[in-house]
Amino acid sequence: MKLDQALKNQREKIVDQWVNYTLSTYESSSFFKKETDKFANPVGGNTREALSALFDLLAKNADPQEFVVPLEQIMRIRAIQEFAASVAVAPIHAVKHITREILAKDKEMRPLVAELYDFEFAVDLAVLAAFDLYMQCRERLYQVRIQEIKTGNYILTDSKCPSNATTMLKTNIQQSIQTVENH
Amino acid sequence: MAVPKLAQLSKSVVQGPSLATGAIPTKDWMDVPAIFKPGNYAYQAKQEKVEYLNSQKGLHFPNAREWSPEDEDWKLPENWKEIILKGLAERLDKFRSLKIFMDCCVRCGACADKCHFFLGTGDPKNMPVLRAELLRSIYRNDFTLGGKLLGKMAGGREMTVGVLKEWFMYSYQCTECRRCSVFCPYGIDTAEVTMMLRELLHLVGVGINWILEPASNSNRTGNHMGLQPHTFKDNVDFLADDIENLTGVRVNHSFNRKGAEVLFITPSADVFAEPGLYTAMGYLLLFEHIGLDYTWSTYASEGGNFGLFTNNELMKKLNAKMYAEAKRLGVKYIIGGECGHMWRVIHQYMDTMNGPADFLEVPKSSITGTTFKNAASTKMVHISEFTADLIKNGKLKLDKSRNAHVKATFHDSCNPARAMGLIDEPRYILDHVVDDWVEMPENTIREQTFCCGSGTGLNTDEIMELRMRSGLPRANAVKHVIDKHDVNTLSCVCAIDRATLTSLMNYWNPGCNVCGVSELVGNALVMDGENRQELDEGLRTLV
Repeated sequence: MKLDQALKNQREKIVDQWVNYTLSTYESSSFFKKETDKFANPVGGNTREALSALFDLLAKNADPQEFVVPLEQIMRIRAIQEFAASVAVAPIHAVKHITREILAKDKEMRPLVAELYDFEFAVDLAVLAAFDLYMQCRERLYQVRIQEIKTGNYILTDSKCPSNATTMLKTNIQQSIQTVENH
Repeated sequence: MAVPKLAQLSKSVVQGPSLATGAIPTKDWMDVPAIFKPGNYAYQAKQEKVEYLNSQKGLHFPNAREWSPEDEDWKLPENWKEIILKGLAERLDKFRSLKIFMDCCVRCGACADKCHFFLGTGDPKNMPVLRAELLRSIYRNDFTLGGKLLGKMAGGREMTVGVLKEWFMYSYQCTECRRCSVFCPYGIDTAEVTMMLRELLHLVGVGINWILEPASNSNRTGNHMGLQPHTFKDNVDFLADDIENLTGVRVNHSFNRKGAEVLFITPSADVFAEPGLYTAMGYLLLFEHIGLDYTWSTYASEGGNFGLFTNNELMKKLNAKMYAEAKRLGVKYIIGGECGHMWRVIHQYMDTMNGPADFLEVPKSSITGTTFKNAASTKMVHISEFTADLIKNGKLKLDKSRNAHVKATFHDSCNPARAMGLIDEPRYILDHVVDDWVEMPENTIREQTFCCGSGTGLNTDEIMELRMRSGLPRANAVKHVIDKHDVNTLSCVCAIDRATLTSLMNYWNPGCNVCGVSELVGNALVMDGENRQELDEGLRTLV
């Protein structure tokens, strides 16, 4: 059996374990694992969707640029949750170990473990891309916070004289809109 | 997990109290303490704001002081426990609903996975059933026979400072949106449990600034922003100038005019903060279009009521200005603008707290002759009801092509949808003012709508991450219609939504605008005598 055929055959099993591992990083994860409706269960649904798509790309040795879409789907969520950066990214790595383990368990597929170098290198690239995306999401979060401050909500609580601030704001608003649009 | 390396993968990098160790929780929920760190709590109320509120007649906001949730010592009064338990006893006696909610939950779990905070965090204490359990465990321990005899075995626990801190953490990770209540077979209103938790916390001086400062502003000048009458007037005048620049029409608006037929009250954010401004321009154009005899008030200059997020006394006091001003000005009825929690207060509490408004008439549109029987008691009509009625009776000249730049979807704001059943009117309006708009998935709209994630005074920037988490279910559904139908505008009927969804979209779905339904109405209106510029982006066009 060839490696690409083995990965194709084992796809469901690998992705299942990968999703399962990723969702286990949440304190109360049984619902995230169980519910299949993406709108009732955004974390679980998006994680499954993203990792499934990412696995297909990894398995077929796709252009690493293509990793960005599924990676962003998952990293955008994990970047604002209560994870250390390493833990937010770690699950991307996990597919290496899962794949290796699944292949090694089967007598027929065991020799293929030695051929995993390219696949694992693709995972390494995905992990690096995930870290970039994690940082981009954090940056975006700070931009959103700054933008909100610029649009005037802060005057609710942080202005000594809202009446003066209002006039100031009037002139700043158009500028802010422009910034948002350019962003 | 059977793979040894894998089991180490997360653990080996980060040890400690992170949620993300890949492990099944090993501790009972009662044994997991609330830990406050920057970004996971809203700032405590400023001492002077608490002092001010406490000095007001009929209000009780004791224990003003400098403190921080991150400190070990919260500087609670010496007899804090007695105060809390006495407060709970009083509320169990006063609010029959609370007593029922404490007793009747069978922990079926129907609500557990319905909360946007749970869905975005995976934190079990954000399951509505468990959030309520934070209070219920104390209730059991001190107010039921089983709890008194059996303690923890009966699900009871002693009131401690740790429990109090947990209350603070999780009663401010609930937006009182009431989505969970829709699914509760017993109809438990978990929002009211949160309201009680917050009330109890205020008894010992534990509250957040983003609620208490707007509330104290509102008590002082009539609106959250603390705008004085001349500034409020100036702002509306600015908007009228903008309208004239854009459309060539000079709108006729007035302030504090006695004898007007209608008093119009809207959240002050509409006349002050982007993007609500465009919604306010929509109101001004609409009322001009139909020649409505109406007035703004510079005193009842706030529809929103942050009192709802503190305690019922403050809610009542802040709400009172609506009827007081309607009486002073001698209007026949009130029209209210697009707001969320404002309508919960009006629809569910106003009549009881400050009614009956027998000096007002049952609202009857002088333009269409329609009597709004649904508002027979409160005498207050929602702008969307009013507008939908105008459209239905053919009283508006509308040109949908003026919204050609808009491909909309509609977010049901929690309170209008679940607290007053305002679901079809905004949709009816959209049908008539935009060429095309699409619904988000069924389990995220109408009564099942997902909260913006920042309601009930949680719209503050220090908890931005938390807000992005809790807004995930909403943003996720918006993303779906963006991907599938090229939606570029998220419309809604709530001022807090307009502010918070803007930030939510900027993070999750950049490029998606947020607007009020009345803005889209304003865009589409064909005004008599207009000299309209090319408005490629409607009222937002820079000219």
